Amino acid sequence: MFKKVIAALFLVSFLTLSGFGAEGSDLSTQNSIQSRIDSVGTQLLNCNKITKRVVFTYNTKEKKKALTTDKGLTKRQVIIYDGLYKSIQSDDELAAALSREISTVIKSYSGAWGGMLDSVQVALGAKKFETVADKRAVDYMVNAGYNPLALIILINKTCPQKRFDRFSRHNLTSKRLARIYEYITYKYPQYLQENDYINNPYYQNFLLTSLDNRKKLDEKIKNNSTKEIDYE
Amino acid sequence: MNRLFIFILLVAGLFYGNISVAEEIAESGLPYNYADTYSIPIYLKIVEPITTKHEQIIEGQVIKFALQKDVYHNEELILERGDIVDARVETIITSGMNGFPAEIVVNGFDIPGIKSSQLISEYTKKGQNRCFWVYPLKWSLTLIPFVGSLTNLIKGGHAKITPKDDIILYYYPNWK
Repeated sequence: MFKKVIAALFLVSFLTLSGFGAEGSDLSTQNSIQSRIDSVGTQLLNCNKITKRVVFTYNTKEKKKALTTDKGLTKRQVIIYDGLYKSIQSDDELAAALSREISTVIKSYSGAWGGMLDSVQVALGAKKFETVADKRAVDYMVNAGYNPLALIILINKTCPQKRFDRFSRHNLTSKRLARIYEYITYKYPQYLQENDYINNPYYQNFLLTSLDNRKKLDEKIKNNSTKEIDYE
Repeated sequence: MNRLFIFILLVAGLFYGNISVAEEIAESGLPYNYADTYSIPIYLKIVEPITTKHEQIIEGQVIKFALQKDVYHNEELILERGDIVDARVETIITSGMNGFPAEIVVNGFDIPGIKSSQLISEYTKKGQNRCFWVYPLKWSLTLIPFVGSLTNLIKGGHAKITPKDDIILYYYPNWK
């Protein structure tokens, strides 16, 4: 009987300790992810001489789509959710995710009533400012020494392709990708000429799926046109 | 005794002074060091006006600015009034529904003898923001079904940068 009690106590204490160990390991993993996000995020802020405060938070929960306010606009807080973080493979891609959010946060600081009016405009004109945020993200990444093509790779991997965008609050992902590619082509052609991502299968997948849109861009460049392209 | 006390105070003061100076010139191992707050304003005006109307400008386009005042550093003339400075159109935000104004963001000022890392230089110019009266109008019209949506047709003003606009950049000579 006494031996059984000892064995039971031993088993319970072992299970409890292993539980603590797992929890500790979880915390340690979260801490390392948070540190990585802080490090890349702060690098982006400092290299771009952003004089406004922005904080970065890693959140293990899934993002709730409906009935939530954008924390970037209200609290000037950039949240990286677990679902997105799982798809991030390099610091360039992490910088891409953070840069997009930083540009939204910065917009919330400008304009009337302490930036409230501009925040409302960003929230209501989400489609327009989505493109703006993509372009600003490219600038932020270049200034901080990250490769802007990683933004194309991240969006290509993580954003699904809807059928239409006419009545949507968001642009078609293919349109976003084409606009980012055009922006890099005109402003930072060196990243395409000496392309570090040419052997990246995700980048090659983007090249494959954007053939029609890239043909339109080629035509625009050939004709020296300044008109906005109607991407598909 | 008093003299001794004054001497001790003087030495302590000098020692404290040295510490403060040491803090001011602390070196940073990072590619940037924003410890110094001393800055010199650089006054500019655009040479040729630009506008977002009729897609006249594109992102990445180089535009020219003229210096409005001489710029001195350590009593030495570093930039002269009338000097021409190149910059780039960074981003263009077109005007949108419900009175959203257009916006031009200018950056990448290329000033001879000054590193871009020593400048706080982003300049933004917005068009007329009509949201102030479009939103109240929209909300009052929503009482009549579908009529409130008509305000979607009202666009915000175009952004223009003209020689009347004073543009001030800040040069931090002690930054890396």
